[in-house]
Amino acid sequence: MIRYALRRVPSAILVLLVASVVVFAVPRLTQGDAVTALAGPDATEETRTAIRQGLGLDQNVVLQYVHWLRGLVTGDLGTSYIRKVPAVEAIGTALTQTITLTCAALLLAVVLGALGGVLLGTSRRPLVTRPVGALVSLSFALPPYVTGVLLVLALAVTVRLLPAGGYVGFGDDAGLAFRSLLMPALCLALPAVAVFARFLGASIRQVMDEDFVRTGVAKGLPRRRLVSAHIVPNALPPVLAVLGIQVGQMLGGAIVVEAIFAWHGIGDLLVNSVLNRDYVLVQDLLLLTVAVFVVVQTLTDLAHAAVDPRVRLEA
Amino acid sequence: MTAISTSVAGVPARERSRWARALRYPEAVTGLAIVVLLIALGLLAPWIAPYGFDAQTADSFAGPSASHLLGTDELGRDILTRVLYGIRQDVFVAGLAVPLGAVVGTLLGLLCGLHRIVDTILERVFDVLLAFTALVLGVAVSATAIGPGMTSIVVTVVLVNVPLFGRLTRTAVRGQRTRDYVVAAEVIGTSRIRVLLRHILPNALDSLIVQAALSLSMAVFIEGAMSFVGLGISPPAPSLGALLRTSANFVNQSPWYALGPIIVVVALVLGFNLIADGLNKGLLRR
Repeated sequence: MIRYALRRVPSAILVLLVASVVVFAVPRLTQGDAVTALAGPDATEETRTAIRQGLGLDQNVVLQYVHWLRGLVTGDLGTSYIRKVPAVEAIGTALTQTITLTCAALLLAVVLGALGGVLLGTSRRPLVTRPVGALVSLSFALPPYVTGVLLVLALAVTVRLLPAGGYVGFGDDAGLAFRSLLMPALCLALPAVAVFARFLGASIRQVMDEDFVRTGVAKGLPRRRLVSAHIVPNALPPVLAVLGIQVGQMLGGAIVVEAIFAWHGIGDLLVNSVLNRDYVLVQDLLLLTVAVFVVVQTLTDLAHAAVDPRVRLEA
Repeated sequence: MTAISTSVAGVPARERSRWARALRYPEAVTGLAIVVLLIALGLLAPWIAPYGFDAQTADSFAGPSASHLLGTDELGRDILTRVLYGIRQDVFVAGLAVPLGAVVGTLLGLLCGLHRIVDTILERVFDVLLAFTALVLGVAVSATAIGPGMTSIVVTVVLVNVPLFGRLTRTAVRGQRTRDYVVAAEVIGTSRIRVLLRHILPNALDSLIVQAALSLSMAVFIEGAMSFVGLGISPPAPSLGALLRTSANFVNQSPWYALGPIIVVVALVLGFNLIADGLNKGLLRR
C-alpha cells in the first residue's frame, strides 16, 4: 500500500505543479493587460509604472511565479486589485456557499445514485429496470442549465413552492436555507446520480455472476441480506473511482448552477473575475479548482487501492 | 445478451461492414434520425427560418401562435428563428472542434507508441489537461488573449477532446502491441510508423468512433454552458446557451420562452448519446 502511495502521490504533485505553471501563464497570455484594466486607457506613464510596481509585474516572470507559489504555501493569495480586498477574503466568503452546495449535491448523488444502481443491478423485472434506466439516461443527457430552468419553471413559477434563487445561510433562517438549497443541489447532483447509478448497476451485475453469490443463494440466504451484505460491498470499490471524478467535476458544474440560482460562490466569482480581468483571483481560483480535482481523485484512488489489493499490485 | 455471431468453427465471422454493425441497434438509428433532422434544420436556417434572427416586433413575450410557433422574446423577436440559428452555431462548434480535437488527440496517442520518453511526457500532458474539467478549462481559455466568445468555445472543445482521444488511442496501442499480427509485421521489417498507422489504428477505430459521438454531445453541452454563464456567444447573436440564459431571466414574464431552446438542447444531447450507446453495443461489445 505504501509503495502504491509512493508512486501515486508524486505523480499527483507533478500534475499540480505543471497545472500551476499553466494557470500562472493564463493571465499573462492576455492582450489587454491588468495594468490597463486598472489604470484606464488615459493614465500617464508614471501611474502605470506605479501600478506595475505595486502588482510586482515589473519583476522577472520566474520571480513572480516563485513569489506566488510561496504566497500559496503561506496562505497569502495576493490582493484582488478590482475588489480591493485580499484574495483570501473574497475566496473564503464564496467558498462557504460552494461548499454548502457541493456537499448537499454529493449527499443527493450518493443516496439517489445508490438507489438507482441497486435497482438497475439487482432487478430483472422490466417494469422496474425500464423506467429507472430511462430516468438515468435522461438525467445523464440533461445539462444542469436545462434542469435548472425546468426546475425553476416547475417549482418556483408554476407552483410557488421553492424560492427561484439566492443563497440563504443556515445561520440566518434554517428553513429558508434548506428550501433554497434543494433545487441547486438537485441540479448539480443529477449528472453524478446518473453516472453513479450506471456504474454501480453494471458493477453489481458483474458481481452477481460470482461464485460466492451462487453459494449464498444455494445456502438459502435471504435476498435482501445477500444484496446488502455480499453483493453491494463487493460492487462498490470500482465505483469509488468514478464517484471521485464526479465530485471533482462538481466545482465545474457549480459554475453553471450558481449562475442559474444567483448564488455567489466560487464559480460565480471565477466567471466575474474573468469578465473583470481580476487576474489575481482568476489565477488563485483556477488553481484551487484544479487542486480540488486532483486531490479528490488521488484520495479516491488511494482508498480504492486500500480496499482492493488487485489495484495496488497491478499498477 | 444477444450477441449475434455467425462464427464458423470458433472463428468469429468477420463480418458485415462497419456501417452495418454500427447501425444494428435501434438506439443508433433513432439518435441518428434526431441529430440529422436537427442539423439539417440548423444548416438550412437562413432559408427556412420564418423571420430574420434580429427582426424585432412590438409583440414581446408572446406565447406560441400560428405566426410565432415558439412565441417571441423580450424584443419581440421570433424564438423559433433564433433557435434555428442557435443550432447552426452548435453545428459549427461541434463540426469544427470535435474532428480537430479527435485528430490531434489520436495522433498524440499514436506518438505514445513510438518511444517511452515521449509516452511519459504525453501521458503527463493528458493528466494536466484532464485535471481542468471541461468548464474550468473553458473559463481558463476565456481568461487568455482569446477572450470570451465563439473562438474560446472552439478552443475549449478541442482542448477537452485531445486528452480523451489521446488516452483512448494510447490504451489501444498498448493493447495491440503484443498481438501476433503486430509482432509478425515487425518481424518482416515493417517500420514502426507504418505498423501504427496501417495495423494498429484501424483496430482502434471502433472505440474512437464511439468517443466521437460522445464528444459531439459534449460539444453541445460546453457551448450551452459557456454561453449560459456569459463566457461564450453573447446575446445579440443567437445561440442555444445564450437563449436559455435570457429565458431564465424572464421566466416570470414568459414561461414559453425556455421551451424551444430546452427541447432542442435535450434532443441534440440525447440524440448524440443514443448514437454513442448504439455504436457501443454494435461496435465494441462482441
